[in-house]
Amino acid sequence: MSQIDIVIDNMTFTAEKGSLLIDLLIKHDLKVPYFCYHEALGADGNCRMCMVEIEGQKRPQIACDTLIKEEMVVRTKGENIDGVRRDILELELINHPIDCPVCDQAGECKLQDFYMDYGLYESNIKQSDKVHHRKHIDLGSSVILDQERCVLCARCTRFTSDITKTHELGIIGRGDHACVSTMPGKKLDNPYAMNIVDLCPVGALTSKDFRFQQRVWFLTSSPSICHGCAKGCNIFIDHNREKYKDETIYRFRPRENQQVNGFFICDEGRLSYKKLQDNRQLDMILNGKSCEEAEALEAYRNLLEAGSGKIVILADANLYTEELEMIQIYAQKLGATLSSPMVSDLDDAFADEWLKSSQRASNAKAIEKLGIMTDLPDEKIALLINFNHPNTVSIDAERVISFRTNQQKEPADLILPLAVFSESSGTLTNEDGIEQYCPKVITRNDPAPTVIEWMIRCQEEVE
Amino acid sequence: MSFEFTKENLEKIEALKSRYPSPKALSLPCLWMAQYQERYISLEAIETIGDLIDLPPMEIYRVATFYTMFNLEPVGKYHIQLCKTLSCALCGKAEMLNHLKNRLGLSPGESSSDGAFTLTQVECLGSCGTAPVMQINDQYYENLTPEKIDIILDSLEEGS
Repeated sequence: MSQIDIVIDNMTFTAEKGSLLIDLLIKHDLKVPYFCYHEALGADGNCRMCMVEIEGQKRPQIACDTLIKEEMVVRTKGENIDGVRRDILELELINHPIDCPVCDQAGECKLQDFYMDYGLYESNIKQSDKVHHRKHIDLGSSVILDQERCVLCARCTRFTSDITKTHELGIIGRGDHACVSTMPGKKLDNPYAMNIVDLCPVGALTSKDFRFQQRVWFLTSSPSICHGCAKGCNIFIDHNREKYKDETIYRFRPRENQQVNGFFICDEGRLSYKKLQDNRQLDMILNGKSCEEAEALEAYRNLLEAGSGKIVILADANLYTEELEMIQIYAQKLGATLSSPMVSDLDDAFADEWLKSSQRASNAKAIEKLGIMTDLPDEKIALLINFNHPNTVSIDAERVISFRTNQQKEPADLILPLAVFSESSGTLTNEDGIEQYCPKVITRNDPAPTVIEWMIRCQEEVE
Repeated sequence: MSFEFTKENLEKIEALKSRYPSPKALSLPCLWMAQYQERYISLEAIETIGDLIDLPPMEIYRVATFYTMFNLEPVGKYHIQLCKTLSCALCGKAEMLNHLKNRLGLSPGESSSDGAFTLTQVECLGSCGTAPVMQINDQYYENLTPEKIDIILDSLEEGS
């Protein structure tokens, strides 16, 4: 394939001959409206919104199904093409309900955006003349379908037929009665189903989990990395601090990264945001009673110095590489054995061949690289310092200090709260060896210290 | 409930397969065979067709719902399809419908309790020159009058 120059809106662009025109428009942020096209799903050409004028062609053409040719001259703006788009949009909106005030998609809805860009016409359709469909259908897999809001772009049906190949969804019927549906008596059932909620350009598919929780214009989207497994899928954390309340995460959304996860994430990863705020360990607990930080640090020092014996430090393989390095140095200083037992992390039931890895610990590769051992010493343990490692049941130690993000049943002499991944920052190495930086996203009103903050505070006391 | 094509139909399907590069092309002929065999297309039939021609059931279901001539619910032995489009409407479809309703005691879309008759209204049957028209199963009945309808239904009732 050769690179050629084409003219779009009087500007010259270089593109690969034979590639899709719409890809070039999107790449250069040239405004073009579209519902059905998606980079992961390819061209379908059914929504007709991405009309452009091409010199030499009698009628406007859809950019999503136009291949780039030599000496092409394209116009994406102008009275003529805006008029065409307005007319098509009016057709899309004929039977669309006026639901926006109660629709979860409002604020990130393509129909709303395009209406503001190209529509702004007076409606010719009376509310009473609209064709009605079913409005609240539980498709399964936490997805709710509102058939009236649908523009029949077929992104969801193409996702189930081309990407997951589970074929649950299809457009049935014809004309005004056409709608997205599952087979009678069947449910949407695949571990990636909730991606169709992101794919849906309008409010027809909404997440049961996110519905009515928050208006999207209040949300801040911050880039992050999913900690659900060693795949390290790129995500956006959508969060908001309501007045008088604490910072709250409302949803995870996939973030495009062609090297790691493409456009999608699994449903389990998507819903794993709950672990970041449910059942959190917030208090410092000394012998079963909550205490102040000074008291806790004194207890920490006392536990460290209360007699000699083997010290074992456990580190969770979900901690950031920087945190693991710091713990490693600390362990050397104390003469302790550092370990991160892995056996409990392998989960074949979870794994598949796409985005779900059987290694559930997100930074297991870093454990390997840092040479941290993954089994436990046989000797008698005098003091166990646990950095959020979940597998402490089988370990018998005289004294236990436990840093925890979430509350656990296992007893410990001293429990110290720990920041979760969204409240800390660092690097993760995924199972393919790709290093990804994960910034701090959430600052709670009463933040739990990160591993590094604890290390500094504890060592100040020791010295 | 399960669905199986008759031996005859299976042979037809096999013969048709050789005509196309892919068996996936056979969804329409298979749907017709299923409908003629059982008078309607059940979900089991759709699953069976899917297995036969290597298509997911959803793809077959989409096709079956697109065409109004496929019945997805059971219909009576005699499926009366009265044309409701322009020419027939102008030439007395309303009167014919009233007569059929009174005679059979059915509203459009209903089937008689003995399973003999189903009454539906359909779009243009393409026989405008002989309006009003109805189609019973595969047979057209043209230039209808209430008297003619009585004669037709009488003969059908005798036959059944």
